[in-house]
Amino acid sequence: MNSLFSGKYTWLHSINPSLKLLTILGLFILAINIHYLNFMVGFSCVILTLFIFGTGYSYKQLLLLSLPFLFVFLSTSSSMILFGKGETILFKWAYIQISEESLIRGIHLGFRALSFAILGLIFALTTKPVMLFYSLMQQLKLPPKFAYSFMAAIRLIPIMIEEYQIIINAQRVRGIEQKNHLLKKIERLAIPLLSQSIRRAYRIAVSMEAKRFQSNRKRTFYYEVGFSRNDLIFLCYFFVLIGLAYLLSNHYPFLPNTDVRYLSD
Amino acid sequence: MQKGLKLTDILVTIVISIAFGILYKIWGPLYYAVKPFGLHIDQLIYGMWFMAATVAFLIIRKPGVALLAEIAASSGEFLMGSEFGLEVLLYGLIQGLFAEFILFAFRYKRFDLFIISLAALGSCAGSLIMDFYKGYIGDLSTWNLTLFIVFRIIGSILFTGLFAVSIAKALEATGVTNLVRSSSKKDHEALDQ
Amino acid sequence: MTSVTSVRNLRLKFPGESKMLFRDMSLSINRGEKVLLLGTSGCGKSTLLQVLSGLVPRTIDIPMKCDDIQIPDQWGFVFQDPDTQFCMPYVDEELAFVLENLEVPREEMSSKICSLLKEVGLELENIHTPIQHLSGGMKQRLAIASVLALKPDVIFLDEPTAFIDEKGTEQIWETVKRIWKDKTLIIVEHKIEKILDFADRLIVFTPDGEILADGNTSMVFTHYKEKFKEFGIWYPGAWDDYKREPIMNNKKELPNTMKLQIFKGYRNKEVKIVVDHLVVHSGEWVTIMGENGAGKSSLLLALMQLIKTSGDYFINDVPIRKTKDISGLLYLVFQNPEYQFLTNSVHDEIIYGLKNDQEIESDVKEILSSLELTSKKEQHPYQLSVGQKRRLSVATAFLQKPNILLLDEPTFGQDSLNTFKILEMIEQERQKGTIILMVTHDHHITERFATRLWEVQNGRIVTDLQLNKGGNVQRGILHEFII
Ligand SMILES: Nc1ncnc2c1ncn2[C@@H]1O[C@H](COP(=O)(O)OP(=O)(O)OP(=O)(O)O)[C@@H](O)[C@H]1O
Ligand SMILES: Nc1ncnc2c1ncn2[C@@H]1O[C@H](COP(=O)(O)OP(=O)(O)OP(=O)(O)O)[C@@H](O)[C@H]1O
Ligand SMILES: [Mg+2]
Ligand SMILES: [Mg+2]
Repeated sequence: MNSLFSGKYTWLHSINPSLKLLTILGLFILAINIHYLNFMVGFSCVILTLFIFGTGYSYKQLLLLSLPFLFVFLSTSSSMILFGKGETILFKWAYIQISEESLIRGIHLGFRALSFAILGLIFALTTKPVMLFYSLMQQLKLPPKFAYSFMAAIRLIPIMIEEYQIIINAQRVRGIEQKNHLLKKIERLAIPLLSQSIRRAYRIAVSMEAKRFQSNRKRTFYYEVGFSRNDLIFLCYFFVLIGLAYLLSNHYPFLPNTDVRYLSD
Repeated sequence: MQKGLKLTDILVTIVISIAFGILYKIWGPLYYAVKPFGLHIDQLIYGMWFMAATVAFLIIRKPGVALLAEIAASSGEFLMGSEFGLEVLLYGLIQGLFAEFILFAFRYKRFDLFIISLAALGSCAGSLIMDFYKGYIGDLSTWNLTLFIVFRIIGSILFTGLFAVSIAKALEATGVTNLVRSSSKKDHEALDQ
Repeated sequence: MTSVTSVRNLRLKFPGESKMLFRDMSLSINRGEKVLLLGTSGCGKSTLLQVLSGLVPRTIDIPMKCDDIQIPDQWGFVFQDPDTQFCMPYVDEELAFVLENLEVPREEMSSKICSLLKEVGLELENIHTPIQHLSGGMKQRLAIASVLALKPDVIFLDEPTAFIDEKGTEQIWETVKRIWKDKTLIIVEHKIEKILDFADRLIVFTPDGEILADGNTSMVFTHYKEKFKEFGIWYPGAWDDYKREPIMNNKKELPNTMKLQIFKGYRNKEVKIVVDHLVVHSGEWVTIMGENGAGKSSLLLALMQLIKTSGDYFINDVPIRKTKDISGLLYLVFQNPEYQFLTNSVHDEIIYGLKNDQEIESDVKEILSSLELTSKKEQHPYQLSVGQKRRLSVATAFLQKPNILLLDEPTFGQDSLNTFKILEMIEQERQKGTIILMVTHDHHITERFATRLWEVQNGRIVTDLQLNKGGNVQRGILHEFII
């Protein structure tokens, strides 16, 4: 799916997609309940390790993919660092007030956003959408009409991007003025793109029904998606390492170990 | 006729959302450009992330469409490997649910700017709840938090409300919406003449 | 004989239209017949196929009623557009989708897929090939394979070769004839040459959606030839009967030239078209022919500066480097007309970007009526039939009065009358001094109108042939190049 980047096939690709998705959502929920910076850093390291060594991409590709993370980190932490509540003031200038608490909280948020971004990327890089939706139909009983609609729509993405290019060109040929204000310009592009896409989606749905697609009927599956030993390894990886990170962060904190939330009393 | 969403409704909804995904990619730089200042200017355009829901609903006008659209838009972003990866999935779910709830409260019978803006505010509330929980925004100093919320509300009404309605109107004019709407009784009666 | 599909007293009207498309129309088709539906562009053929297959109104909601309708139990539908009939990304997955619908056990799927592909002559090294990598003709054969998997008794084909080159068209019809020898086929097609020997029944519609003639092929053609001519429906020999009215306009107004030297067009950084050295002058009408994917559209886009180019490119001795340089000089009619529509009605579409004065209004009227779009004046461009959309996009080009007119398959999906009219209008422009570059798959046009032929193969112009307009000598030669 990520046509720009293609890596080796690794054990992460072989994990059952539904299980992978649920695990990652579980980790997400765990992460928003971590309020101590040391544990958050440990948690991020566990995920980062998997990202670097597990996804089967070259370091150069990984580095390229990681560039936006720096931005995610900074943008998420900055407003909290500059404008967050706190008692121990480190720096103050006009409305800006950096306190020790807000600084730690900001960094904490940065790590949190970072680990979400990486978790999402791990999933996207190692999962074929078609397999995901076959698995969702088989393991989580997603109705086929949703699953196949998603798959059809994903097939359309590159076609739509190309179409977007063509629309811009076609409008240029007709001598469209570029001086309009931004919203008008967006609308001018959005309307043909949307109406073309709707028509196309509609035609595809019609041709799917012409091929006897019925959602409520029983169906067989071209791809059977099951479970394997790798799934167990996958779960154990997180259990063991995150457990370890928790213990280490409690016993050997290397950063101030307080609740990062602002507890005024 | 049939109850629930038909295959055409679902596929069209999902494709609309993904088309928005592509438009987001185009607007993305705008968002990045204003984000890192900490003064929340970015919140003014935050509302564009909920637009798929209201536009899809205005086109198809059926229950469940707003929710499906938000989920589709966010999973599209998720599968394309967005930097905001995983969280968009849950944000999408919550925002969609809240918008859907507002539309449900009016029995899916009204399609005017007022209701759409209310739905926009619903999505906005949903996203704020997530932010309180995930982003500790409650721990921002009060003036900054107020700025944050006010900007986001304005942005929601601007994009998810006003702009979505204007896009839906323009689409209506192209006649594409006829494809997904049921024909009216009047049209059937016209056949008897 | 038993009928497999029929409809009695069909009435159908699009919402908001004043006129019914069909009014008390009855039709019955028997088992094993090979029926060809003919009619002018916009008379309702596509819509009728959708009614007979039950897609209208079950999936496509258009108001209709009838006293009685019989929909075949086992049917399949091949649509016109190769890009909107698939829902999966890979060839094997697409066919598997159909097999899944039919509850074929998983173990049997792979071998079934292979044998289906073999049957339609789509031999791939690897069945797990992205559909996007197939040519238009291959995509249509995949569509036929998936219909074949349904084991239909009745097959509906709606202009399945509209976007396909001559070779591909021939192959597709050969496939259809071979695999569905004893099934019922209901076909809509403008390019009738390749299937006439195969069809045993013709149903001809008037422009008002009434049945004009219904019977075996030779009977219909002998008895109704005059009507065919009058309405402008294709029949064998239509080209031979066509006498071009001599257009008297020999004063050349604008002497234009276009010069290209080592000119290359790129897509995704890959060279898709190379031109070594070419000069074109006023009064020339170049047709550009070649297989699907050869690079014809890329050539026009490159000339328009819409894709990246390199090399020397001069118009009237002025170097062209940016899109800005060509504004007003060139105009391109895109392969897919829908992309170019900007407004909400046919009328607005035509006057878009023109200075609005009295003279223009009369030009607009004239062009609308000569392309039979007058009654559609207020309709939204997207709601036209395939052929009408094409004509509208061509009409917009004429009023722009460019020095060089680029046309990408301007006559596909047209009936004969409109084809001739479009060609005559182009000829008129040519005589005024406009350089014409036109992509087409139709060798009749090259033989009768072009003054020059370029044949594109694998991104290169391999043939550059001066033609003696309308000269019979050329026809023999041409055939070697085209077939
Ligand atoms: N959604 C719509 N609303 C209103 N009119 C429509 C709509 N769709 C099609 N029409 C009109 O119905 C008529 C029949 O269209 P149809 O596509 O069936 O024609 P056709 O015979 O297949 O023509 P062609 O040979 O050009 O494909 C056309 O005149 C067209 O303008
Ligand atoms: N947007 C694109 N990006 C990259 N490659 C493309 C793009 N569009 C077309 N191509 C490739 O460029 C080559 C030439 O395509 P082009 O559309 O010019 O062919 P064509 O001769 O016009 O074919 P057709 O008769 O099917 O219209 C083909 O190999 C095609 O796959
Ligand atoms: Mg048609
Ligand atoms: Mg082309």
